[in-house]
Amino acid sequence: MNAALDRLLSMLHDGAAARTLSLADWEPVLRLGRQARLLGLLGHRLASDEALWSALPPQVRGHFRSAINYSACRLQAVRMELRALDPVLPADVRVVLLKGAAYAAQGLEFACGRMPNDVDLLVTRADLDATEAALRAAGWVADDVDAYDERYYREWSHELPPMRKPGHALELDLHHTIAPVTSRTRADDALLFAGMVPLAGTRFWVLHPCDQIVHAAIHLFQDTELDGRLRDLVDIDGLIRHHLRSDADWVELLSRARSHRASRMLWYALHFCAAWLGTPVPAARWPEAPPEAARRAMDWIVPRTCLPRLPDGAPGLERRLAGQIAQLRYHRLRMPTGLLIRHLAHKAWAGVLPRRPAREGVEA
Amino acid sequence: MTPAPGPISQTSLSELEQALAEEGLFVDYGACVVRLRSRLKGFAHSLRGVYGSFAFMPEAPFADLHVRVDPGRGLRRWLRPNARFSIDGVEPFDPFPLASALPLYEWGVNWCFAQRFNQHVLLHAGALARAERAVIMAATPGSGKSTLSAAMMLRGFRLLSDEFGVLCPESGALLPMLKPVALKNQSIDLIRGFSGEAVLGPVHYATRKGDVAHLAPDAASVAAMHRPARPALVIFPRWREGAALAVEPQAREQAFARLAFNSFNYRLLGPVSFDAVADLAAACPAVQLTYSRLDEAIEAIHRLLDEPPAVGGVEGER
Repeated sequence: MNAALDRLLSMLHDGAAARTLSLADWEPVLRLGRQARLLGLLGHRLASDEALWSALPPQVRGHFRSAINYSACRLQAVRMELRALDPVLPADVRVVLLKGAAYAAQGLEFACGRMPNDVDLLVTRADLDATEAALRAAGWVADDVDAYDERYYREWSHELPPMRKPGHALELDLHHTIAPVTSRTRADDALLFAGMVPLAGTRFWVLHPCDQIVHAAIHLFQDTELDGRLRDLVDIDGLIRHHLRSDADWVELLSRARSHRASRMLWYALHFCAAWLGTPVPAARWPEAPPEAARRAMDWIVPRTCLPRLPDGAPGLERRLAGQIAQLRYHRLRMPTGLLIRHLAHKAWAGVLPRRPAREGVEA
Repeated sequence: MTPAPGPISQTSLSELEQALAEEGLFVDYGACVVRLRSRLKGFAHSLRGVYGSFAFMPEAPFADLHVRVDPGRGLRRWLRPNARFSIDGVEPFDPFPLASALPLYEWGVNWCFAQRFNQHVLLHAGALARAERAVIMAATPGSGKSTLSAAMMLRGFRLLSDEFGVLCPESGALLPMLKPVALKNQSIDLIRGFSGEAVLGPVHYATRKGDVAHLAPDAASVAAMHRPARPALVIFPRWREGAALAVEPQAREQAFARLAFNSFNYRLLGPVSFDAVADLAAACPAVQLTYSRLDEAIEAIHRLLDEPPAVGGVEGER
């Protein structure tokens, strides 16, 4: 298991690691890669070296080829969604693409083979209502959420409930900033919107390259429960290798992370990227390290939640415990204590109340 | 190297049960290998009924799909017991009654294969071969594709699959995905009466797709499951009660559209499947075959293979 994980990780930054694997070695590597949703990306990287690719066992190539084809389909869905959104979004609103859609629209090599599930858009808070109204008028409808969740999204989150247009393959998330408004990380929205870059030949914009990295770090370490999110680190690794070309770029990254109050998130991202993916981080360009106790806690939690595992049995006690702690951490970071207590009390109460009619029973 | 494994028909039930309960049974279908684990009572017996010609493999270096068929949880173990299918720890469908564990497994594997094998164009088609020349029978469910596939195998064609035309986009070859043929409703007795050679598993009554019984693939088809075949003929079969045999040539653009329509992943593969299906439609004559009697249909297919009609249709830009 650990040997397979080591192989997967080393292959992600150096395809040559694939050369020495026997067919039996490959099996757990492919399964872990699938769990982490990284087969398409890894397949692209291996297929770019023709000699290496043709030496792989045919079964292994088959699984990679399947993932490559699947990701091409998702990417096409993203392109179609952007094309559909183009005439719908208010002409005077600057719309920023985030994450997968942004990487695809920038044509970033490292993102080939990703499998995006949704399209994330960002507009300023001032433009939010007009943008939402335009989408609704054009047939996008929000997911069915109850009044409490609606309020949760609108007042305490950084995005609206997911929207979808019937017949479209992808969900749409409309953001007005890059971190939950109630969290301790508060992005500097003025800096964020001042730094954005137009995408040539389109109506869309993307974040400043450094903000793309900061956002990915905030998203992973504050906006997810970490489970199975190795691919987020792979994105960060790719962004760093692509965008940061000089020492000045690193200085800029650190400065922006500080302004967005996300230095600690960035430190964690760099820490795990360097440890697992060999991401090159100049020694002088590390953000200030978190306190020893927090580091130790994260060093225990993150490998047990973020890294994929073989799905043959139930997760072990350690892994489940780490998952629970990661969930607590996730909630703790998003909300101040008072709000968190209120939120958990509501969710506990809602869990007791009868919900919608139960699904029809197993056939009589 | 370990000695070549013997067939499942010559494996004792306890050996089979032990393999299923422990390291798993590796089932080689040609296009993919499934590692199957199960602690379900009676499941080994059901499997042996229709996998007799398949090799008994309690170990293998590689499996493509890792699935389990398990008993229901909690009270469901005792009260109206059921069977659950899972792949990589995820249960994609609701449980089936215990007695339908075999159909559940068979559909489960079909579903997983259709989800995960997007390196190939997966046509919804029966595929059989005479020598190395393959006949692709594409049709919507209910057109008698499985029945005709079963009958062709029983008259000496090599069965590649009754469900999947696995078309390799790189080589243009058709790969076997050799599974027991799922016969439904009246087809079960029809095939039983069609040939004394037919080895059928038990009938599973009133499943979600009606009554189902599985026809075991014959030894010759199993022995050739790693040999691809070259597509030679495309047939769109239509069974009509009492109909006289009718062979209507299809223009290649029509054949293209019908093949693309009867595919599990045509849309997903985009340009890859467009090219593969266009090449197939350009290379193979295609006919619509209306029939009521199986032997007449099979004779007609032999004739079409002996004297292939020209590929019809407009000369396109291709």
